[in-house]
Amino acid sequence: MKIQQNHTSDINLKIKRRRWTNVGAIYLILLLFSVLFMGTFLFGALSSLKDDPSSWPPTLKTEQLSPKNWIGAYILARQGGGGGFFGELKSGHEVSFQVTYKYPMGIKIVPPQVIVPKRFKGSGRAALELDREFVADFVKIIPVEEIGRISVRDGNQVSYKIDIINPSQKDFDELPLDLLVPYKVDFLSATLSPNRIERLGRVQSWNNLVSGVIPYIFHNHFRVFNENYSRTTGRRLFTTWIFNSFFISIIKVLTTLMFASMAGYALARLKFYGKNYLFVLILFSMMIPGQVTFISNYLVLRDGIFGLTKLFGGGSLLNTFTGLIISGLVGASAVFIMKQFFEGLPKEMEESARIDGASTYQIFSKIMLPLAKPALGALTILTFQGVWNEFFWPLVIITSPMDKFTLTIGLLSFKDTYASGTFDWGPILAGAIISALPIIILFIVFQRYFVEGASFSGIKG
Amino acid sequence: MENRWSSLKEKTAPYVLLSPFLFGFIIFFSYAFIRSLYFSFTDYDLFSVPNWVGINNYINLFKERLFTTALKNSLTFAIIVTTLQTIFALLLAVAMNQKIKGIRFFRTAYYMPSVTSSIVITLIFMWMFQRRGVINYLLTLLRQHGLTIGVFLTLLTGIQLLLVVTEKIRGRPVEYLEPSYIVISIIFAFIVTYVLKDFGIIKLAEVKAVDIFWLNTREKVPSWAGPLAFPRPLGAIMILNIWTTVPTFMILYLAGLQGIPKVLYEAAEVDGAKGWQKFWYITIPQLKHITFLVVTLGLIGTLQMFDQVKIIGSQAPLESTITLAYYVYDSAFPGASAPKVGMASAAAVILALLTLTIVLIQKKFSGEGRDLRD
Repeated sequence: MKIQQNHTSDINLKIKRRRWTNVGAIYLILLLFSVLFMGTFLFGALSSLKDDPSSWPPTLKTEQLSPKNWIGAYILARQGGGGGFFGELKSGHEVSFQVTYKYPMGIKIVPPQVIVPKRFKGSGRAALELDREFVADFVKIIPVEEIGRISVRDGNQVSYKIDIINPSQKDFDELPLDLLVPYKVDFLSATLSPNRIERLGRVQSWNNLVSGVIPYIFHNHFRVFNENYSRTTGRRLFTTWIFNSFFISIIKVLTTLMFASMAGYALARLKFYGKNYLFVLILFSMMIPGQVTFISNYLVLRDGIFGLTKLFGGGSLLNTFTGLIISGLVGASAVFIMKQFFEGLPKEMEESARIDGASTYQIFSKIMLPLAKPALGALTILTFQGVWNEFFWPLVIITSPMDKFTLTIGLLSFKDTYASGTFDWGPILAGAIISALPIIILFIVFQRYFVEGASFSGIKG
Repeated sequence: MENRWSSLKEKTAPYVLLSPFLFGFIIFFSYAFIRSLYFSFTDYDLFSVPNWVGINNYINLFKERLFTTALKNSLTFAIIVTTLQTIFALLLAVAMNQKIKGIRFFRTAYYMPSVTSSIVITLIFMWMFQRRGVINYLLTLLRQHGLTIGVFLTLLTGIQLLLVVTEKIRGRPVEYLEPSYIVISIIFAFIVTYVLKDFGIIKLAEVKAVDIFWLNTREKVPSWAGPLAFPRPLGAIMILNIWTTVPTFMILYLAGLQGIPKVLYEAAEVDGAKGWQKFWYITIPQLKHITFLVVTLGLIGTLQMFDQVKIIGSQAPLESTITLAYYVYDSAFPGASAPKVGMASAAAVILALLTLTIVLIQKKFSGEGRDLRD
């Protein structure tokens, strides 16, 4: 008897142990997959902070995320007279900066040469479009002062204090700096880590000493907003694109909700001539790629929908939001989803309302619509996501001016803006990450609807 | 009078409710589709009056090398991506179909690539596929640590076999993949590999940085496949596309998995079925209609692949990435030369026919008829 009991507990222990290891293994697998699926984004987001996201080897280490540099950026910006988080170089202020080098044995110890360079903002086409005053023409560099020397095993560690004054009446939003040291002298550390080290270590280069903490961390993200101006209106392009995308998405969500539920209800519950043919045609349309129909649609919009727009004093609908919206008031798949949903609802309430003498319109608006809330929720998310991410159709009908671009087409234009031989990946990645943010936030908040929407749209076939 | 008015209102109600949808549907789909058909038999160029040219456009298309390349690329892309994404989605769904804590977090994490736009994903991938990019770096790391990984895996298998065989000799029932033993094997293999490495017995291989051109190349992979090989940039887009679509289809499979009655598995267990047997004889047949759906959606989606080709643009040679959808766009809106709307429309019609044919064949082949209607 006792032996048997021992045996059972042995087996129980084994089962328990097995269950735990099983769970562990599952978590391990799930975690590995998350790295695969989310890691790409996180790595992209992390690299969008870097000065040069395509430096080799690609590392997770990012100067912009080191607290030491945050403190440095804060102190320097305060010295410049601005706030610590968003800095500037105000009139009459002095910025004091420390840097340490290692001079190997046999190299003469001379202080670094300080240069405030005249640097164009931005790169590629963006650089050509901005003209401005250079801070270099106004500031005064005070001779470099040695503040410490420690002798180490094979040389000396020397620290210098570099002071730059803005004696002019003007305020500047940036202070770039280059330090030049003799060959073989090693850069060790500075109040703020340099953005680049060039010419085999001889030049350490800073984009902006007085940026403040936030612009220091999100350097590329600020560039996206600050370096793209419209040639026609002078407004910031990236902000305009975000606004455009929001505007079009919201309008299309509203029209889709309204018209899809109307059409879906008619298809699901009302009898009319040609209903079955229409339904087959809708299914057919969902299989046909947009590239099949776009030429005619392009022409229709070019001619203002058979000249109808002339009645309202308009002309061509190309390059207009009206054109973009009117050609996609409601998608066939949205109608399909609503039809499926309405068909799944019980008929009793509707029938009793009809006996009470309610009209079709009353039944639709008073009874069916309130019941359709869950489907409308999923449809809202699905439509918003679809319109926000839409690429092909805006590409076809919106070509100029850049003010009219949606975010997706705007991002595509970054490939020209930030390319000169090689890509300046910093702002491109930053722009991509920023434009994905609204959808990701929406997704995290309304996760349930996304998943429902996916299974809804899955039904469509 | 009142009565007649309300009866008229009732009779017209379906059409009134449908009218906003029908407005768009008729102009921007039906009319457009018919017009594309018509254009495909003309020499229209957006500006002058179209002339009827019969089936000349279709004949000329198949004489044009760029078109046949696009056709081949589209088909290769559709077949490979659909196959792989279906398999991965199914496996991932099976792995996700667990009642454990935090599964929601993982679902969120996995679904992320599917909600963001093609431009965002493609830009990030282009950055990773640069010559000095993340993908090449990871490959370099893999080559450097190849020996270490090999030693680790050999040790892992060895220890596991040893443990299982000893148990078997003692006459205890044990499976080859007994999880608790795997954990022990992993720990031991890790420690031994670490020690070997620490003593310098295993060294990092001296390799050059991997220097694969992912985008700017005309090379075809796999090199042994002859005429079946596809351009490497297209392969890069395949990786990208599988990565973004797998999560969506995983959600569909997950819903299907949750609908399989538990009784089936329990009955199989009573009959002594093993894990993989249950998967093969219960899970897969039960998910048949979802698989049909996933394959259909996959084919429709992959055949119209356009965005990635446009976004990668001049980063890769055109014939290495061009698809049918892009061919249509490029012929209708070529940068410098005159628009060839006739040719573009003919290619568009072929694309539509191709999609329909493949979906119909698929439907017949898998013997599923009702799904499209339900």
